[in-house]
Amino acid sequence: MKFKILISLGLLLCLGCTKNDTEIAYQPVYLNVEQPSNFPDIVYNLENNPVTEAGFELGKSLFYEGKLSANNAIPCAFCHEQAFAFTHHGHTVSHGVNGGIGTRNAQPMQNLAYQSEFMWDGAASHLDLQPVIPLTSDLEMGETVGNVITKLQADSYYQNQFKKAFEDGAINSENLLKALSQFMVMMVSSNSKYDKHVRAEDGVTLTQIELDGLATFNNKCASCHATDLFTDQSYRNNGLSVNPRLNDLGRYDIFENPNDIYKFKVPSLRNVEKSFPYMHDGRFATLEAVLDFYDSGMVDNGNVDPIFKRNDGTLGISLSAYEKESIIAFLKTLTDNEFLTDERFSEY
Amino acid sequence: MKILKISFALLLCAMVSSCSNEDDNTENLAGQTGTLIIKFDNGVGDQDFIFGTSYTKSNNESFQLSTLKYLISNIALTDDEGNTFMYPSEKNVFIINEANANNAGEIYVTLDEVDAANYTNISFGLGIDQDRYALGAEGQGNFLTTAEAEGMMWSWATGYRFTRLDGTYSSNTVTNEALNIHMGSVGTSVDNYNEISLSLPNTVVVREDKSPQIHVVADIAKLFDGETSVSFDDGYAQVHVDATTTGVIANNAKGMFSVHHVHNE
Repeated sequence: MKFKILISLGLLLCLGCTKNDTEIAYQPVYLNVEQPSNFPDIVYNLENNPVTEAGFELGKSLFYEGKLSANNAIPCAFCHEQAFAFTHHGHTVSHGVNGGIGTRNAQPMQNLAYQSEFMWDGAASHLDLQPVIPLTSDLEMGETVGNVITKLQADSYYQNQFKKAFEDGAINSENLLKALSQFMVMMVSSNSKYDKHVRAEDGVTLTQIELDGLATFNNKCASCHATDLFTDQSYRNNGLSVNPRLNDLGRYDIFENPNDIYKFKVPSLRNVEKSFPYMHDGRFATLEAVLDFYDSGMVDNGNVDPIFKRNDGTLGISLSAYEKESIIAFLKTLTDNEFLTDERFSEY
Repeated sequence: MKILKISFALLLCAMVSSCSNEDDNTENLAGQTGTLIIKFDNGVGDQDFIFGTSYTKSNNESFQLSTLKYLISNIALTDDEGNTFMYPSEKNVFIINEANANNAGEIYVTLDEVDAANYTNISFGLGIDQDRYALGAEGQGNFLTTAEAEGMMWSWATGYRFTRLDGTYSSNTVTNEALNIHMGSVGTSVDNYNEISLSLPNTVVVREDKSPQIHVVADIAKLFDGETSVSFDDGYAQVHVDATTTGVIANNAKGMFSVHHVHNE
């Protein structure tokens, strides 16, 4: 890891050297944020922060930039690896600077332009403000925005790239966060097998077991995992046993509303095959474990969403062995390999 | 400024090329030592282990725990040339207590002054072997006090508890009955010490300037559904000093460890 960072740092410095003497000017080339026909409308305010080629490139550099962290070695990408739908591969919760260990599972980054709140508890109510949370968390990147700005101001690559990306050319927190958003809103995952099936593209159709899984999914899961984003963007308590080590109260921490205890944002299921482990604390390593949990593992922790109540008063979503098998087959059709290997988002 | 950057880049290049020489046989590791961290991570099947969470097992039984501890000793590492490094005996015994786990549920065992080498295998004992026990109470150093404080000792005549699980279980016939697995060897009459040997998925590079980590997962489900499947209702809810039941659990425990991955940093 360090080795890679050193190389990339070296490359960045070399680029900085060669481009130093050319004329730097703000000449925006606008990029279009995709609006897939099967998606809800974009909610991110693009008029306020139109995506440009230079802004996107800057945002990408910042996403892979170690300087955003206190020890200059933990970029956003450390916990958000592309091949795993921008999650921290295999980690229940993530490691940060100085051996810090967080309390939640790193969420996938995709289709953010269509969502209005972010983080497991919705702590970020605007995409532009989300990066401040991991950047300043002692357990994650352990920095301050002010200090990051100072570090970037001393770097010739950023001196040039901010000028190309923004009319005022200033290396400040507003432009830093806008550039990151420009990168993030472009991260659209909409070309899975399922998408092509839904949009009747390229003659792609689902197999029988995938169709069966989709039917069961629509019947038993889609009330929360709604729309083709596969989340209704609500916060719900899904009856996980409380992990006493973390005692994570979820959305309660935002407003201290007792009704919010143990509520977490309904996650999107796109690329879910690749984004394991699952749940806010990553307790389930496989999709089988997740479905077994919904079928027979839910517990009454005091505030479980009533949608999970069966007629006999018990909690859960009854699923037969074939229903589980077929739902998983369907969920795997949400894997979007074009997105997971898209070089526009890759470090190298 | 520019010169500084270019020289920095050159320096990086030099560092990069020096790294690539690492595998040459010319590297002299004599006398060099480094630190190795072994992370123990308890799970149940494909779930993370969490106190108070109910897990299902065979025979339509389920269990949940409030205590989960075990003793690890005699950690040894074998390198790619077949040499074995044994951590110094007096320090080579550890209590893995889930209650001490970090947010990620990992319990760290830090080995310092490990001989620099490229290791391909790790082995360790679950419990205390008869040689260490034969040193007597006064030969145990501080560990005896530690084990006592952690509830990992009977009286000296009986010896150490190797594995301790406390909680409750439910079955077709009972609900939330006590579950206590306190098992070890029994003096010198029953020997339940076993060694586990695990090959590493990739080489662990121990050097003065490198602190690699070995991530070991312990699947607690294997204690009850390992080589032998046991039933709580059938005498396995209380396992203490009985030669048969402790032997079955000890034998199952041999299969509960695996190396999940290795970090070389």
